[in-house]
Amino acid sequence: MIDFLNYLINGALVGLLYALVAMGFIVIYRASKVFNFAQGELVVFGGFIVWWMVLAMGMPLAVGLPLAFVAAAVFGLLIERIFFSRLVGESVFAMVMVTIGLLILIRGLVLVLFGAQVRPFPIIFPLKPVIFGDILIPRSLLFGAILTIIVGLGLSWFFNRTRPGLRMTAVAEDHQVAMSLGISVKRSIAFAWILGALLSTLGAIIYLSGKSLSFLASDIGLAALPVALLAGFESIAGVLLAGLIVGIIQGLVTAYVDPAVGGAVGTVFPFVIMLFILFVRPTGMFGWKTIERV
Amino acid sequence: MDPAGVFATSFARDQALIRTRQQWIAFTLFILALFVLPYVVGPRLVAISTAMMISAVVVIGLQINTGYAGQVNLGQAAFMGVGAYATGVLATKAGLPFWLSIPLGGGAAAVFGFVFGLSAVRIKGFYLALTTIAAQALFHFLILNLPSSWFGASNGLSLEPATFFGIALATDRSIYYLCLVVAIIMAFGAYGIVRSSHGRAFVAVRDDDVASGMMGINVVRTKATAFLIGAFYAGIGGGLWAYYVRFVAVDQFTLFHSIWFIAMIIVGGMGSVTGALIGVFIITAIREGFVTLGPSLVHQFPALGGDVVFATMNVFLGGIIAAFLIFEPRGLMHRWNIMKRSYRLWPFPY
Repeated sequence: MIDFLNYLINGALVGLLYALVAMGFIVIYRASKVFNFAQGELVVFGGFIVWWMVLAMGMPLAVGLPLAFVAAAVFGLLIERIFFSRLVGESVFAMVMVTIGLLILIRGLVLVLFGAQVRPFPIIFPLKPVIFGDILIPRSLLFGAILTIIVGLGLSWFFNRTRPGLRMTAVAEDHQVAMSLGISVKRSIAFAWILGALLSTLGAIIYLSGKSLSFLASDIGLAALPVALLAGFESIAGVLLAGLIVGIIQGLVTAYVDPAVGGAVGTVFPFVIMLFILFVRPTGMFGWKTIERV
Repeated sequence: MDPAGVFATSFARDQALIRTRQQWIAFTLFILALFVLPYVVGPRLVAISTAMMISAVVVIGLQINTGYAGQVNLGQAAFMGVGAYATGVLATKAGLPFWLSIPLGGGAAAVFGFVFGLSAVRIKGFYLALTTIAAQALFHFLILNLPSSWFGASNGLSLEPATFFGIALATDRSIYYLCLVVAIIMAFGAYGIVRSSHGRAFVAVRDDDVASGMMGINVVRTKATAFLIGAFYAGIGGGLWAYYVRFVAVDQFTLFHSIWFIAMIIVGGMGSVTGALIGVFIITAIREGFVTLGPSLVHQFPALGGDVVFATMNVFLGGIIAAFLIFEPRGLMHRWNIMKRSYRLWPFPY
């Protein structure tokens, strides 16, 4: 029973971490109608910036972390300036393919700038787990989950209730309509990428705190895909719930099915969920019901 | 457009792929050059050319699926892998000759691709791309976790060389000819498909699926067919790969390989079989250039370390995809057509 509770809670917390990364997908989608396949690479890039600021440059955490966030924001803005400001009004296909190009480009960039060695990541949350009775919870995941919920609800409020947020929502609906309403599509996309890069850096900090860092950490981007899809690509608060569901299912499958089958069912199970959602309900749980059916 | 003085006087002539005598001469010379190539160049270039032939088959399939029918496919490498494994198993376990196992491998890949293409019934655009990514993940998972007596799991699968009427195709040169012949057949098949009613249906569905549905095209069937054909080509390429490397492992067919394939059609030009071939040639040539120059590059800049080749290759690949999408979304083929047109019209502007 205690084991079960342990798996349940840890699964839920990992799920919330996925939700944070998935939020990066959704924020970029909500403000620019671009589906960003390079999200995992943004996480890695954010992680390397933090590593570089804190460990390589030797800055204290209080200085290094804010600087890392600033650098990530500049990086996001650069991506928009170099690639996406030229693609406003182009087909969705072109934009999505550019993000795939970015996936590889950023990976190469990380390798060129920071090298392929595995780096230690600074310990941002103390390593000692939080203990309730018999339940062990990694501190980074716990704080991360709290942060995720706060950020998720805040962003949800921003996109659904405030004027700038609604303006971006219009961009996600249709670039041309938004432009004809006098909304700056470029500014919206720039904001989306800045926000996406910031969220990715936050995700990197929670995901990697005290672990080792290499470009392989980008797998979390793919792992977060099913979460974003289950929530529907437009719902920011929904992604919290979707993260919980996927995380708990994955945790339990890893704990109980993996030993029985003798393989990594847990890692591939989210993709099975993803296929199931795509076939049954492509809008996810809370997505806008505007997907064009064939 | 045709050069001055060339008029199509019959439907067959209007449909012809090779339209002038000069083109016939150039085409014959090109094919001849391909056939004498292994006797002229060294073994490394033969190996590269063989790899190009194999990629060409796979990329032509992707071109039909993505370039003509407009279905984004990020799982072409997985489809290729299914073909390679099916060919490998049929050749080693069932002892089939290569001229049976390769087409059957293609068939297996086609079935696998078709299952994912069926999701086109409900979704489109990048949602479809997501299912193909899932295909990629599932392929890896299945191969690695099924009993190792089936597909060799993480150890991979080793093949005996293909035999053709008692002659073992074990040398680089013989396998080159196998790949060349298959690639030529597949390329002509592709030219035929895209000129047929299926090809026109693909283009119509790509350009506007609602409108093409109005015209009486079965949109869902067309999309599924596109996946079927694309995956079949990938499977054939995979089968060739299995006989070429004679070792099949799961890490030869990753998402990154799929992205390389997509880069090839973007660079070559979407919606053109010739463009796919050009893309394969250029991207492979540049990649091999990096590999060749790599050691001297590392020698020049020892501070960068040995991974710099892989890293710069990634930067290059990502950069070239983005640059082509931004500056020339229709690829090199479009540039070439503009050049050809202005050459034929010269000195008139139009």
